[in-house]
Amino acid sequence: MEQSITLAGFTSQLLVGLSRAMILFIVSSGLSFILGVLRVPNVAHGSLYMIGAFVAHSVATAVGGVSGFWLALVLAPLAVAVISLIAERTLFCHLYEREHLMLLLFTFALMLILGDLTKITWGADYRSLTAPPFLQGSVSVLGTAFPRYNLFLLAVGPVVAVGLWLLTSRTMFGKIARAAAVDREMVGAIGINVSWVFALAFVLGCLLAGLGGALVSPTVSITLGMDHTIIIETFLIVTIGGLGNIWGALAGSLIFGITQSIGVLILPQFAIVFPYLAVVVILTLKPTGLLKSVW
Amino acid sequence: MKKKQAFGSWLVLAAAAVSAATMLVPGAVEARNIKVGIIDTYSGPPAVFGNDALNGFKMALDEINKQGVLGGKIEFVTRDDKFKVDIALNMAKELVLKENVDLLVGTVNSGVSLAVSDGVAKKEKIPFITWMGKSENITGRNGHRYVFSVTENTAMAGKAAANMLSKKPYKKYWVAGDDYEYGHALDESFWRYLKQAKPDVEVIGKTWWKLGEPDLVPYFTSIQAANPDAIHFCTGGASMANVLKTVKTTGISRKIPVYIHTAIDYAVLKPLGVEAPEGVMGTMDYLFYYPELSMNQKFVKDFQARFGTPPGFPAFHAYTTAHFIAEAYRQAGKIDKEKFIDALEGLKVDSPVGKVEMRACDHQAILPILFGTTKISKEFGFAVATDIMTLRGVEVMPACGEIEAARKGQ
Repeated sequence: MEQSITLAGFTSQLLVGLSRAMILFIVSSGLSFILGVLRVPNVAHGSLYMIGAFVAHSVATAVGGVSGFWLALVLAPLAVAVISLIAERTLFCHLYEREHLMLLLFTFALMLILGDLTKITWGADYRSLTAPPFLQGSVSVLGTAFPRYNLFLLAVGPVVAVGLWLLTSRTMFGKIARAAAVDREMVGAIGINVSWVFALAFVLGCLLAGLGGALVSPTVSITLGMDHTIIIETFLIVTIGGLGNIWGALAGSLIFGITQSIGVLILPQFAIVFPYLAVVVILTLKPTGLLKSVW
Repeated sequence: MKKKQAFGSWLVLAAAAVSAATMLVPGAVEARNIKVGIIDTYSGPPAVFGNDALNGFKMALDEINKQGVLGGKIEFVTRDDKFKVDIALNMAKELVLKENVDLLVGTVNSGVSLAVSDGVAKKEKIPFITWMGKSENITGRNGHRYVFSVTENTAMAGKAAANMLSKKPYKKYWVAGDDYEYGHALDESFWRYLKQAKPDVEVIGKTWWKLGEPDLVPYFTSIQAANPDAIHFCTGGASMANVLKTVKTTGISRKIPVYIHTAIDYAVLKPLGVEAPEGVMGTMDYLFYYPELSMNQKFVKDFQARFGTPPGFPAFHAYTTAHFIAEAYRQAGKIDKEKFIDALEGLKVDSPVGKVEMRACDHQAILPILFGTTKISKEFGFAVATDIMTLRGVEVMPACGEIEAARKGQ
C-alpha cells in the first residue's frame, strides 16, 4: 500500500484543492455577507446555488455553443438574484426582527420549498453541462494531467475576491452595508433606507450563490440534493472563518479545499474526515473562528 | 405530479369501493383483484429509477389485465420510501396490515430491499420481490422463502467482470467508490471472483468518498499519481454521472483502463450526452438497443410511444416482475401466498430479452450480464456500449451450493 508522494503529485493536488476552494469561497462569501449584514443564517443559500446550476444548464443548452456557456455564467446568477429579490421583498423583510431560531426554521422551510420547486421545474433527472472546447480536457502540470476547467476556476476566484473587496471597501453601498452590519439603528438614524440596503445585500449574497452554482456545473452532475452538500460545507467554512467576515470565508474555503485534496493524497481511504478534522481543530483552538466575527 | 397521481389513485380507489359496494349481492363472484404493494423511491435523485420501474410495471399490467388473472385483475398501490430504510419499513407494514396487499415489490435502495425482506416479508410471511436492490446478500446470505429478486446483483456483475478482466494483462488495481453498502458490495464481489480467476492480482490502494461527494477531481488526480494498471470504480445512481464526468475531464481512462458496473447503462449515459467518456468498461443486464430481438424492439417501441423515452433497466425489471407475478398466480390457481411462492420457484416467463427463469434454489432470476465499452453514438447523440459480450446467467451466478453455505453461515 506504500506509495511515495511525488512533488508533481503534490503540486497538482494542491492546485485541485485551490480550485475547489474557489467555488467554496464564492458560495460561502455570499452566505457570510448575508450573515454579516442581515444576521440571517440562510439555510436556503444552498438551494439558490442548486438553482444557479440548473438555470446555467437550461441557458447553455437553449443557446448552445460557446456563447451559450458564457451567457449561462451571466444569466444564472441574475436569475437567482431575481428569485432572491422576490423572496426578500415578500418574505424576509418581515422577519428580520425575529430571533435566530425562527429565521433558521424559516430558511430551512424555504430550502425544502425551493428544492421541491426545482424538482417540479426541472424534474428529478440529473443533468450535465459541457464546458466550451478550450476549457475541456486537461493540461500537463509538472507531468501530471490537470483539468483545464480547474485552471479557469483558479483565475475566476481571485477576480471575484477582488471585486468583492472593491465593492465592500470602495463603494458607498459597501460602506453602508458594513456600517449596517455593525449598527443598523445608527444607519437608519442618519436617514438611510435600511430596508433597501438589506434587500441589496441579500440579493448580492444570493447572486454569489447563483454564480457558484453556474461555475461548478461543468465539473459535477447537476442534481437535486446538491443543495444539502454545499450548505453543510459552506456553513462550516463560515463558522471557522468567523461569522459574517468575507475574508474569513476565504480563509475557511482554502483550509477546507486544501485539507481535502491533500488528505486524499496521503490517506485516500479516510479522505472524507480531513476537512472536518480541520474544522474541529480550529474551533477547539479558536471557537469564534479564525478572523473577527461580526456577531 | 406525484400528488396528482396519488389523488388519482385515491379517486380510483373510491370509485372501486363504490362499485364494490353495489356489487355486494349474495353469491357474488369469488374472483377478486390481486393487490401489489410497491415501495420505491419517487422523490430525490433516485426517483429517476423509481419512475422508470413504475412505467415498466404499468405497461406490463395493461397487457396482463386485458385477459385478467384468475378472473380478476392485478392492481397496485405505491408508497414513496424517500430512499430511507425506516420510512420503507413503516410503509411496508402499513401496506401489509392496512392495505392487505397480496405481495410487496420494490426498491432501488439495496439497504431498503434487505430491510423489507428481513423485517416484513420474513416476519409477516408475505412475498417480496426486489426489482432493483442489487446487493447479492438479498438472495444470498440473507435469502429466505419469501424473498425473490428480478434484478442482476453485485455477485453476478462481479463474476462477469472478473471473468472478462482476468483475461487482460492488468495486475495492479486501484479501488475507488461510494462509501456505503452498494459500493463495498461491488468491491467485495468483484475482487473475490477476480482473485479466484487470476491469483496474482493485487490492490495497491483504495479510495472511498462519501456518497454524493460533489467534486471528485482531487481523488482522481491522486489515483493517477499512483499509476495503477486498472481502476475499479464502485459507484452507482447519481454518483455515477459524477464519476463518469470526472473520468472525462481528467482524461484518466485514456491512460489507465477503467471498469465500472452499470457504466454502460442508458439512464447514466444519456444525461451526459456527448460529454460521456469513451473507452470505459461496464456491465449491465439490460440495454434497450441490444440484443436486437423483435420482442425487445417491440417493447422499446411501445414504451417509447407511451412515455417518450426508451426503457431503462428498471423498466425492464419491473415489466418482467409483473409477468412473473401474473404467471405465478395463474399456475397457483388461487390467490394464496404459499401456493404463489411454490409456483414462482423455477417459473419461466417471456421477457423482452427471451425466457427468464426464477431459480428455485435461491429465488434469483437468471439474467444475462452484458459486458461492453462506452463509445459516443452519432445515431443517439449520447454514449452507448460497443463490443458487447453476453455472459449467460448460469455462468455468472453463484452456484446453489455456495448460496446454501452462505445462508447456513448466517
